[in-house]
Parts: sequence; structure tokens; C-alpha cells
Amino acid sequence: MKKIKIDFSKCTGCHTCEVACSLQHIENMVNPKRSRIRVLQVGDINLPVIAGPYTEAECTTKGIIPIAEQEYDACLFCRASCPVRPIFREPDVDIPLKCDFCGEPPDPQCVKWCTTEALSFVDV
Amino acid sequence: MDGWVGRILRVDLTQGDYSVEDLDPDLAKDFIGGRGLASKLLFDEIDPRIEPLSPENKLIFASGPLTGTGAVSGGRVTTVTKSPLTGTIACSNMGGYFGPEIKFAGYDLIIVEGKSPEPVYLLVMDDDVEIKPALNLWGKTTFEAEDIIREEIGDEWKARETQIAGIGPAGENLVKFAAIVHDKHTVAGRCGPGAVMGSKNLKAIAVRGTKAISVADGEGFRQTVLDTLNKWKADEGLSYFGHTGSAAAIGSNNRRGCLPVSNYQRGTFEGVEGLSWKAQKTYLVSRRSCFGCPCHCRPEYKFSDDKFGERHVGMEYETLALLGSNCGVDDLAAVIKANDICNDLGMDTMSAGGTIGCAMELFERGYLPEADIGFKLNFGNGEAMLELLRQTGLRTGFGDIMAEGAYELAKRYGHPELFVGVKKLEMPAYDPRRLQGMGLNLATANRGGCHNRAYTPAYEAFAPPERLMEPSATEGKAALVKKLQDLVTVLDSAGICLFPYAAMDPPFQEEEVLSQLEAATGAGYTHDDMLLAGERIWNLERMFNLKAGFTKEDDTLPHRMLEEPLPDGPGQGQVCRLDEMLSEYYQLRGWDENGVPTSEKLSELGLEDEL
Repeated sequence: MKKIKIDFSKCTGCHTCEVACSLQHIENMVNPKRSRIRVLQVGDINLPVIAGPYTEAECTTKGIIPIAEQEYDACLFCRASCPVRPIFREPDVDIPLKCDFCGEPPDPQCVKWCTTEALSFVDV
Repeated sequence: MDGWVGRILRVDLTQGDYSVEDLDPDLAKDFIGGRGLASKLLFDEIDPRIEPLSPENKLIFASGPLTGTGAVSGGRVTTVTKSPLTGTIACSNMGGYFGPEIKFAGYDLIIVEGKSPEPVYLLVMDDDVEIKPALNLWGKTTFEAEDIIREEIGDEWKARETQIAGIGPAGENLVKFAAIVHDKHTVAGRCGPGAVMGSKNLKAIAVRGTKAISVADGEGFRQTVLDTLNKWKADEGLSYFGHTGSAAAIGSNNRRGCLPVSNYQRGTFEGVEGLSWKAQKTYLVSRRSCFGCPCHCRPEYKFSDDKFGERHVGMEYETLALLGSNCGVDDLAAVIKANDICNDLGMDTMSAGGTIGCAMELFERGYLPEADIGFKLNFGNGEAMLELLRQTGLRTGFGDIMAEGAYELAKRYGHPELFVGVKKLEMPAYDPRRLQGMGLNLATANRGGCHNRAYTPAYEAFAPPERLMEPSATEGKAALVKKLQDLVTVLDSAGICLFPYAAMDPPFQEEEVLSQLEAATGAGYTHDDMLLAGERIWNLERMFNLKAGFTKEDDTLPHRMLEEPLPDGPGQGQVCRLDEMLSEYYQLRGWDENGVPTSEKLSELGLEDEL
């Protein structure tokens, strides 16, 4: 089995992965807001987040993630398509989005387009 | 439309109203977009003789057909206006994420016209366009204003996805080289577009878009972008500069002897070690990219000793040289701080460095009394430089005079020969006495002394032996300059960034530009079409300037470059031999001996009506 490994320390915030994702899933269209991977600029870091499962309700736990002497809101790291965030949902129609590894066999375009190796496709 | 989104947002600040227009596809193809399309609209819509800071001037934010598409380094947006510093047509572009967001909101261009009676900012959320009061933002720095606007948007996620470009106190105070600043450190600086924005009482534009950009041939587009990305990963020059940013070039330009030192009095700097890549590395903590770019040339620095506060975004080569060696400053921390002040107050770092260098020479030669400034202003005095930058942005103290730029400063103190610039625009950090082709480019550049109109160092400096043209020779430079001016115009108009394309081998990557442009737009561009569009735009800009009153006499270089030989370095003893190149350049351009495009040339370019 393989998975997409994220090394946020290598991400420079070019958003090319979002373009690659939307071109793969919507024919001839570039739209980062409909991408199943989003790069969030959080404090000093660029954080790629890949869309995971859909959840109906807002979660009740609020976590903190410490990185290099700074504390980050865990909500930003969450992969869920959820009611409190517009990411990983289709604008206008609100349908949840989830990463599908670009089909079968998996061939994630975001990894292909990433030039800094922040994203890699690895065996688990 | 594909590539272009096909709509123009026109905002009339006098009336407090806006309208949306369709983009004419034929016009778009002929003028590409970005710099080209906006220049065409400005040419058609304003009288080139107007006062740049009057409500009659317009300010156009223009993305290109490749902006936001994922085309390699397609993150650019160009501001086009009549410059208050030079009086020429001026296009100043920036990266970051603002240009793509304009397209995602459904517009290729935003045209700003008139003047608001009160300070306002423009909020564009897809089809919802609002002109909002900005009294609370007036007087705030660009950093502060971005934060306040995000707070006003309220929704955390919408605010996070909103891209903002605006002015600081310098733009409000009509500093002639005021910049428009986006994302706190990405800047459209040259020629003072920030002052035009300030004259319109427009503090900022905030944009968020959720729409798509369509590309004509999705599969072909993906393939050509991937091919280009992979080629770039393997390119030696780009791998280096994409990693370090352009500032690392200071060492090699010092060895080459084309570094401006103490207002261009010398071409090599004894304090260069303090500014070198080695020194930069000691502060470097991370790097950022603009939208769609495999380069990450925006370094971020952190000071351990808290001398100037914590974290700072780094500068590029021009800033480092003009606020560093050109002011005799060898303390990298002071230059990093100077860059920060310029970005925060909203000023062009290059003109700021050129103007301070000029003031320092006037002071050292005894032409500018200490009493006028209020403190000593010797070369190398970093603290004085920082204080003067603050005063300039706020137009307090001597800063009120600095804010008019180096040309007015040198003239005011009776020594116009100490102004180093072209058409009142302070020169870039490539000494044309050392790089002859650069001299011709600077003399003929449509926005004044700008290296990026034709980035000749790709052939005269940063070039492998088989490509290198002898920098001290004038042969072949007219043809080189014409070719590169047209080509760079294409890049600026398409919405892609000059820097990585110029660093590649071969420079400017014509085939890659064409294949991305064609796959995105499907407009039927051939190689010839593309280059002809570049030439068309160049000639249109030239016609604007001629109508504004510029003549052949303005296609010149400052006294120092033509008359005072370089005293040091590999170019020792040389001046720029502009007269050996200029006539040939006019001929190659199809212009008469007075530098006026002939009617044959204009017909060939489809510009008959512009005569």
C-alpha cells in the first residue's frame, strides 16, 4: 500500500499542487478552491493538507500542535471536510471533496507537480 | 474564453460605482494581456499629457492569460498607469498570489479611474464588489492595513483566502516612488504606482475568488507544464538562483565590476563580504514561492540578536545592491531592515536606494548641508539611511525632499550630474559602463532606467562561455536589446515571471512560453505572432511616451555613465558608448533617426490608428 507523505518543511507555498489536483478532477479547469489538497499559510510554515473523510458535525475538541517553539491550532491540520471550513467542499453546491489518489492505479498529480519534494508517494 | 477569463472590472471612484465589461478576444490575442493589454487600454482611454496624480489618470491591475493557470511561474499581475516619477507610461509587476486571485474572482483586469472623495478600499468577492470606507486604514502601514482588512472580513477562512494589495503612508503622501505592496513583501514598486493609488484615495484592493480559469487544451497544458517543470529541476543556473534568490548575485557582480558603489562612483565594493550569500545564509530560515513557481526566491530571515526585531522577508539583488553597496552600507542586517521599512511604508527599494546614494554623495561633496538633513549622511551610515527612509515614507523632515526622487534632489542642490538614472527613474544595479548592452537598454526602456525591460545580463554576465557576449563590446548589442525587450514584454504580458525564465538556459525559454500560452488560450499563437505582439506592445508604449512629450533627447544615460570612466574593476577606464549602438537600434526597430516609429512599421504592427 502507498500513501502521500507530506514534509511541510519543504513546502514553499507555490500552490502548484492545487492546480494539478483541479486540472485532474475537473476537465480543463483550474480552480484551487475546488482542489482536494490545499496549502495553508500558517504562521511561519506552509502546510499542505489533503482532503480526508467527510464529517457532518463540528468537532468539540480543540487541540494545539507545537512546532519549533510555536503553537498551532490543530483545526488547521485536520483533513476532514467539515461544516466550519470552506475547504474540501465544492464552492456554491457544498458537496464534500475527498482525495482519491487520482484513480486506479493511484497516480497523484499533486506529487508529480511538486518540485520541492514536500509531497512524495511512498510505500507504507 | 480560455486562459483569459474574459471580463474586465471597471471601478469609478469619483462616482463610487463599478461595471463589468466583456474582454474583446481579438484585442486580447493582439496584446496578450497583463502589461500589453493594459497599456493598450490606457493608451486608448487617457491623454498621455495628463498630470499623473490627477483624477484623469487611471490605474490598471492586469493579469495575463497564464496568470493563475499553473503555467510555470504564472503568478504575476502588472499595474499600468502614467508614472508620477517619470511621466512615461509605466508598468510595474508583482508576484505573490494577488494576480491569480483576481482571475479566480472572474476578472482579467481591474481598471481604477477617478478619485474617491474619501479614503476607500475595494473589496471583491467574486461577483460582489464593494467600495468600502477606509478612514480607519488611512495612515496605516501596508502590514497593518492587511491585518485590519482581514479582521473586517470577519470569517476566518474567507479572510485567509483573501489576497490584498495596497499602499502605505508613502502612497498616501504621494511619494513619487511609492509602491503597491501585497502579502506584506511582494511589491509593484518601480515608477510610483502607489502614489497614483494614493492620489485616488484608494488604500487597498482585497480579492477572493472561487471560480475557475479554463484552459483550452487541458491535457496538452498539463504535459507542457510538467515538461517545463522537469526541465527546470535539472537546470544548473535555475537550481542555484531558484534556491538562493537573486541576492546571491552580489558576489559575482562585484567580481564583474558592475556593482553600483557609493552612487555609482565605483564598480567594486570592499565591504561586499558583509552582504554576500555567505552572510545571507547566517540569517536565512526559510524561503517562499509565488503562485505556480518552482523557484522559491523569497527568503525569510531571522535575527538571533533581536537587533531589528524578529523575522524579516529578504530582498532581491537590486534592493541589496542599491540600499547596500550603493549607499556604502556593508551591514546586511541594516539592508534587511531597510527593505522592511520600504515594504511597510510602501516605497520602491530601488529608487529609495538610488535617492539616498545621491543624497550621500551630495552631502560628502559638501553640496548638501548637514543642517538641511538634521544629521550626518556619510556613505556607509546604515542608521542614517534607516532614519531617512522612515522620513521619506512619512514625508517628514528632509524626507519631504527625498520623496521627490533623486533627479529633483540633485537638481535642487545644483548638481544634476549626480543623478544616476534615466527619464528620472533611478538606475538598477548593473553598471552600463561595464555592460554596454545594458546601457542601450536603459536609455531606450519605456519606463526609464529599468534593467528588466531587456535583461541583457543573461548574455553579458550570467552566461556560459558559448552564450557569453563580451560585456565591453557594443557589436550586436542593438539586436540583442531589441530582441530581449520584445521577448520580456511577452513574458510580462502573459503573466509569468521574468526571473526564472531569464535564469534558464537558453534564457527566456521561448518555446516553453509559446507552448504554455497556446495550450492555455488556444488562440492560435505562432512563434512569430508571439514575438510580433511583444514588438507591437513595445511600439505602443513608445507612442504613448512620444505623445506625452518625450523625444530622442530623452534616450540617453546620466552624465556619470557617458563621461566618467569606471575607476576600478574589470571595466576600469570604460564609459558606456551609447552613440555606437543607438542609431543601429532605431534602424532595427524600424524607427526614423528621431526615434519615431515609421508609418510602415506601425502598419506592420497593426498600430496605424496609434500614429
